[in-house]
Order: sequence, then C-alpha cells, then structure tokens
Amino acid sequence: MSYGLALIAENAQLLLIGLRATLLLALVTLIASTILGVLFGTLATVKSRAVRTLVACYVETFRDIPLIVTIFAIFFGAPYAGVPLEPFPAVALGLSLWGGANGAEIVRGGILSVPKGQREAAAALGLYPWKIYLLILWPQALRAVLPAYTGLLALIIQSTSLGALVGVTEFLKAGGLIIERSTVMQGINPAFQIYIFVLLVYFAICSVLTALSRRLEKKLARSAGRVAGAVRAPDAASI
Amino acid sequence: MEFDLDYLMRQMPALRAGILLTIQVSAIAVVLSIGIGLIGASIRVMRVPVLDRIVAFYVEFIRNTPLLVQLFFVFFGLPTIGLTLSLFWSGVLALTLWAGAFQTENVRGGLSAVSPGLREAARALGLSQIQYLRLIGLPLAVRIGLPAMLNTCVSLVKNSAYVSAIGLQDLAGVAFDRIASDFRAFEMLAVLLVGYLALVLSLSAAVRLLEHRLQAPFRS
Repeated sequence: MSYGLALIAENAQLLLIGLRATLLLALVTLIASTILGVLFGTLATVKSRAVRTLVACYVETFRDIPLIVTIFAIFFGAPYAGVPLEPFPAVALGLSLWGGANGAEIVRGGILSVPKGQREAAAALGLYPWKIYLLILWPQALRAVLPAYTGLLALIIQSTSLGALVGVTEFLKAGGLIIERSTVMQGINPAFQIYIFVLLVYFAICSVLTALSRRLEKKLARSAGRVAGAVRAPDAASI
Repeated sequence: MEFDLDYLMRQMPALRAGILLTIQVSAIAVVLSIGIGLIGASIRVMRVPVLDRIVAFYVEFIRNTPLLVQLFFVFFGLPTIGLTLSLFWSGVLALTLWAGAFQTENVRGGLSAVSPGLREAARALGLSQIQYLRLIGLPLAVRIGLPAMLNTCVSLVKNSAYVSAIGLQDLAGVAFDRIASDFRAFEMLAVLLVGYLALVLSLSAAVRLLEHRLQAPFRS
C-alpha cells in the first residue's frame, strides 16, 4: 500500500488534472441539465396532452437507455451525422440529455407538489400562465426540488466517469494512465491501490452531496404542511 | 450512408448471442443481489454488532461511487492481489455488489414498515430473531418492498450494459464492436435503441402488472 501512496503522490498533478476535468464535465452537465430539466419539467405540467406525451417520450427514452449506450451513440454516431465531436463535448452532450431527462422528472415533481390552490388562486387573480409559473410555481417548487437536485448532482459526478471510455482524461482515466505507466515502466501493476484511491475520492465527493441532500430533505419535512413537500431524491438504481 | 437491412440480418446471430448474455448476466446478478439484500437488511435490522456497521458502510460506499469504477476495480484491481475472475464473473460480481446495496436498502425499508407489534408477538411466542425474520419479517418485507426491489432489478438489466466496458460481448458489447469494425453505426445504434427500450419497457410493464396483482387483496 505504501507503494500505492508514493505513486499517488508522484502523480498528484495528473490526478488533479483528471479531477478538474471531472468537475468541469459535471458543471457543464449540471448547467445544461438544469436548462433542459426546467424546460421539459415545466412542459410536463401544461394542459396540452400532446406536449406532455412528447415530453414523456424524451424523458423515458433517455432514462431507459443505458447511459453508456447514449454516450457511445453520440460519440460514434456524430461523425456519420456529419458533425464529428471531440470526446469532451460528446460526453457532455450525452450526460446532459440524460441529466435533463432526470432533471425534468424532478422539476415536474416539484411543480406538482405545490398545493393546487396556489395555481387556482393565481389564475383567479388573472395572472398570465407564464406569470403563474414565474412568480408562484417555480419559487415554491425550488424548495421542493433542492434535495433531489443535490442527489442528482452526485449522480452526474459519478456518471462523468464514463468519459474515460471515449478518451476524456477525467479522474478515472487519470487513474488508468497511472496504472499503465507504472506497469510498463516499473513492472508493478498498482491497479488495486489506484482504483481503491479513485473509488475513495468519488466516495468523498458524492457522500458529502448525498448527506447534504438528506439534510435538506429533513429540513423540508420539518416544515411539512406549510410548504410543498420534497421531491424524492433519485439514486443510481432509480434513474 | 443508408440503412442496410441485409447487413443487419447477417449480424442477427451475434446480436442474439449478445442479448442472451445480457439476460444471463442480469439474471444471475438479480438473484445474487436479492440474496445480499435479504441478508444485509436482516443484519441491519437485527443490529448485529460490527457486521451492522460494515453493511451500512458497504451500502453507502456503493451508492456514492460510480458503477464503472467498481467494475474496473473488480476486473483490473482484484487480479493484482491474486483474485482473478473470468470476464463473465467479474461482470456478474460487480453488478451483484452494486445492486446488492440497493436491494439491502429496499428490503430494509420493507422490514421497517412491518408493524413492530408482530415482532413483539413473535418474541412473546418464543420465536428467535432469525425465526421471526424467516417466517414473518422477511416475507412481509419483501411484499412491501417489492415495487422498489423490482425497479432495482430493471435498473440492473439496463446497467448490465456497463459490462461491455471490460469487453464482455453482451448486447451493447456486440453492437459497439460492429460499429468499430464494420463502420455500420446507424444499424447498430438502431438495434441498441430498440433492444434496450424493448427490454426495459417490457420489464417495467411486467413489474407494474405484478404490483397491480399483489395489491389486489388490499383493494376495496
């Protein structure tokens, strides 16, 4: 194990580059997922059945296809569609479409958790539909979705590891490069130690976010009845 | 490039083998992970010293780390300390450990929803903790937790595609290989889209039907 620690210290710079790419990928995905999630989540609550069906098709498709397939499809399919993509944008696009579908589910749940009377009262006061969303529904939904959204961020960070498969030098790939290098140059295969280390770093980041998500959920539960209830936080086996 | 149906037909035997492998890997992992779930949840609920903490950590660890890294750890990491598994069993082990954590939580949720009165009654009748779990607690917990457990199973089938990352020739693995070697992206991506959607949607539909059936005695 001491050899592993020395190896990690030696390659700290490469690991930091990887970690930075992981966090950058997660950030880009989070922003794009939020835009898609708010858009489609809101559209999922409108009156028109046709719109709701279209949104449901998008959400179901990207939730039901394995994420690894979505990312490979975009990365390998893009050149055939005439728009070859670099690994980073390809992965960001795949993650965002997936994250947007899951974000939409959360946002939809948040809007639906706002007591019905709110929407009716706003309509009775003569507010335009867009104003009802902007002033009444979204602000209240925001509190309800916060725990679930924090959970989603943890899942996005975990999913960025798929970038390693198409050539993004994110954290997992950085670990893989160290293993390869050490195996070739020193003849020692440190895969066990390095992957434990990689797992622990993901664990440290994601467990903080999961704990935060649980705390937010509890806080919201304490004020239950007065505000919209929390949307259930997603986990890797539910999305 | 246009869609070449003949090419697709020629690849059918390989794709069929891929789907079979997907089903095989998932089926074994489903059974084993439910086993982990039943045992893990029992340990948690009985508050077995030490083991209880270990199970809690296992669940947290799996839930907060990427499945892909877990898979790489099992396939590339374990052999370096002398634990070499075949490609197939590496995939099965990683998926089992992953789903086992979620099944533990699902069963635990079911167990904690079983009325505490039943546990006290079992104790008053002289049943041991294990007898209570085997005869009363777990059967009821599984019934209560079944929707969540089955959803985890569906998710497991979907995520079995990850095993293609270590080179297993499951449905995703076969299709990715063909894309790389024959440059027939459209055909193979269509197969993947249809294949996984059909698999997941039909399983979800079956789950909903089963839930509906199981709820029958409780409907007025």
